[in-house]
Amino acid sequence: MERNTELIIKDLKKTYGKNKVIRGIDFELHEGERVVVLGPSGSGKSTFLRCINRIEEPTGGMISFDGTIVTDRNIRKIRRDIGMVFQHFNLINNLTVMENLTLAPVKLRVMKRDAAEKRAKELLRHIGLSNKANSYPASLSGGQKQRIAIIRAMMMSPEVLLFDEPTSALDPESIGDVLSLIRELADRGMTIMIVTHEMSFAREIATRIVFIDKGKIIEEGTPTEFFEHPKTPRVREFLNKVL
Amino acid sequence: MSDFFAKIAELFSTPEYIDSLLHGFLLTIQVSYFAILIGILLGTIIALVDTAKPSRWLVVPKFICSTYVAIIRGTPMALQLFIMFFIIFAIRGFPSIITAIIAFGLNSAAYTAEVIRGGILSVDKGQTEAGMALGLSQTTIFMKIVAPQAIKNIIPALGNEIITVIKETAIVSMVGMYDLNMAAKDIGSGQNMASYIVPMFTAALFYLVTIYLITFIVKRIEKGLRRSDLRAEE
Repeated sequence: MERNTELIIKDLKKTYGKNKVIRGIDFELHEGERVVVLGPSGSGKSTFLRCINRIEEPTGGMISFDGTIVTDRNIRKIRRDIGMVFQHFNLINNLTVMENLTLAPVKLRVMKRDAAEKRAKELLRHIGLSNKANSYPASLSGGQKQRIAIIRAMMMSPEVLLFDEPTSALDPESIGDVLSLIRELADRGMTIMIVTHEMSFAREIATRIVFIDKGKIIEEGTPTEFFEHPKTPRVREFLNKVL
Repeated sequence: MSDFFAKIAELFSTPEYIDSLLHGFLLTIQVSYFAILIGILLGTIIALVDTAKPSRWLVVPKFICSTYVAIIRGTPMALQLFIMFFIIFAIRGFPSIITAIIAFGLNSAAYTAEVIRGGILSVDKGQTEAGMALGLSQTTIFMKIVAPQAIKNIIPALGNEIITVIKETAIVSMVGMYDLNMAAKDIGSGQNMASYIVPMFTAALFYLVTIYLITFIVKRIEKGLRRSDLRAEE
């Protein structure tokens, strides 16, 4: 099946002073794919994800999204189509849940306020948090915050969703809630990239696993290939430790 | 003791003295008010330049701002006042109240800038990142996300700075201006009441009440801002 290529990344580099965090990554993401990025901590996997929508400014290489080369000038427009979910949720503290959900779509004229609020209510009802519409983030649990952060990203109807360790700051019970919401998006055909340490979830949800170590992709493949028949010693060592 | 009460009676029954005190108080308030206004305006600009993302255009402004803050914070207020009076505005007939307002305003700006800068930097970076990821502009991110959260951190420290300015203006008496502090000294001097205790305590009371009022208002504002932070349900 011929699929639309969402993202092409060539020779991506990111350095902080002398510290080379990303040392040349080539990568492609196709529509409907669910790529899970694995790797030891400090390998640069989060930085890789954050370079894609320029939350971190890359120091080298090229990224093109939907056929357009990403630059400082067009990045704001492109970010509307790339949703991001953070490890620490990053709901806006001074805004209510409803305001968090509607701020961007209304400000960026993606939707009228009425329409945005209607959609926000639907999504809140869907995740069972209708009663939290007027609450502030401070009064929510981690799991609630993260599920709201996910639907906040969905409000913009993005083409791609990036998840940066979405469950790393959660208690075990909330992790299940958040993962099932991600699973649901996956089932609906959302194009997804996830950085995570949840191995069984990675195995279950991924169409492709990418393993990053020391700022480079050193192995990629289907979950079966990756988990059953790892090619490189580094991945074998990693899997031995985490499984 | 009866002498003390007699002096109180004397102070409050002599219209001249009351007039002097009120005049002095008015000057103190005028200088403080406009100095604080300048301080907040200029301080905000300095803080914004200081916290802006580094770029080619901002190299010089950033340098100017940091040098300015360093100089103001590194020298005594009294000396800054002298320099304003005896060097920069040593112009015959130039209104001394304006010179004083400028001197205190420029001084307060440096401290206010630090307060505002601290407030802005204390907002979690994730808040900005969330705004960026949604495609919001820098201006929207600042106005809707960063500024409202920074203000919560700024208000208490800004209250302190306002109080400091009001008390510090007392040194205008060093350049011969007739503020509340000077009024107390004048009324207590030999050719007037010939006793310092009552006028000085009265002046102290004026300062205390003013500052108490400001503290009260700041606390109220703080509380109002915090309420929206922790409100659970509506």
